[in-house]
Amino acid sequence: MIFVAVGTQFSFDRLIQFMDEWARDNEEEVFAQIGDGEYTPKHMKWERFLEGDQYNQNIKEASVFVSHAGMGNIISARQQQTPILVINRQFELGEHRNNHQADGLVWMGKLPGVYTADTQETLYQKIAERVDMHCPAEADNVKRDQLVQFLGDYIEGSAP
Amino acid sequence: MPKKKKVLAIASPGGHWIQLNKICNEMEARFEMVYATPGTQYGSKNSSRKIHNITDASADSKLKLIPLAFQLLFLMIKERPSAIISTGAAPGAIAILIAKFLPIKTIWVDSIANTAVLSRSGRMVKKHANLVVTQWEPLSDGKNVIYKGSIL
Repeated sequence: MIFVAVGTQFSFDRLIQFMDEWARDNEEEVFAQIGDGEYTPKHMKWERFLEGDQYNQNIKEASVFVSHAGMGNIISARQQQTPILVINRQFELGEHRNNHQADGLVWMGKLPGVYTADTQETLYQKIAERVDMHCPAEADNVKRDQLVQFLGDYIEGSAP
Repeated sequence: MPKKKKVLAIASPGGHWIQLNKICNEMEARFEMVYATPGTQYGSKNSSRKIHNITDASADSKLKLIPLAFQLLFLMIKERPSAIISTGAAPGAIAILIAKFLPIKTIWVDSIANTAVLSRSGRMVKKHANLVVTQWEPLSDGKNVIYKGSIL
């Protein structure tokens, strides 16, 4: 199964339509969380919103998680050890209130288990390569531990 | 053993909330954590956490900021946290602006999604929060905006 999710704040009809067309032409089942989108899929199962546990379960079961370039989904994918393929919203198309998703695509692609696409063509290309994708387990995260330690010390008043 | 300090953690749904949890999961042992977020869709059935539901508002929906501000003020009076921590967006920023006038330490952790400049909310609270942290080293000026690590 391929799980598609576009987040809760904005719709992303362009990606949903790309994936609906992909589902029409391919065997693998596709399930999409479409938010407030106006486009309703015809060739894949969909829900507007999913409750947290179900959402994570879908990520876990997916061969690849196709998503808007949202940080939350990147973190969740890593947690479930599922490769994530992100496509950015475009400010020019009214898909977000600024273009930070386009700016973010470059560094996101450097994270382990994160793959990127910016057009329908590259999206389909990457999906075709999904068997070769992999996502490492969330190993001990030193940078996070340092941040949390610092914040904790600050709250307790022992930070400089 | 001294009583644990209470921390109120606030974030909008989606990426902000997930980043907040990445930080706060590891703070649970050290502090008494209380959460506030718009919407309850992220409450796991297995969670024993105390999560307050607040009005959703963004800088684009200014009218909703008023009820939100009252909710946050009442929440602070009720919970009396030692510190407030937020990863964004608007509700967390409003909370920090309110807490400025109360004996509460305020911490802003700017979203990892903002790699080139501090987020809009981050810039809004920059002069008001006691501590502003970026997750990208180049965005730190070592004084008003600090880098100490990131969630990824």
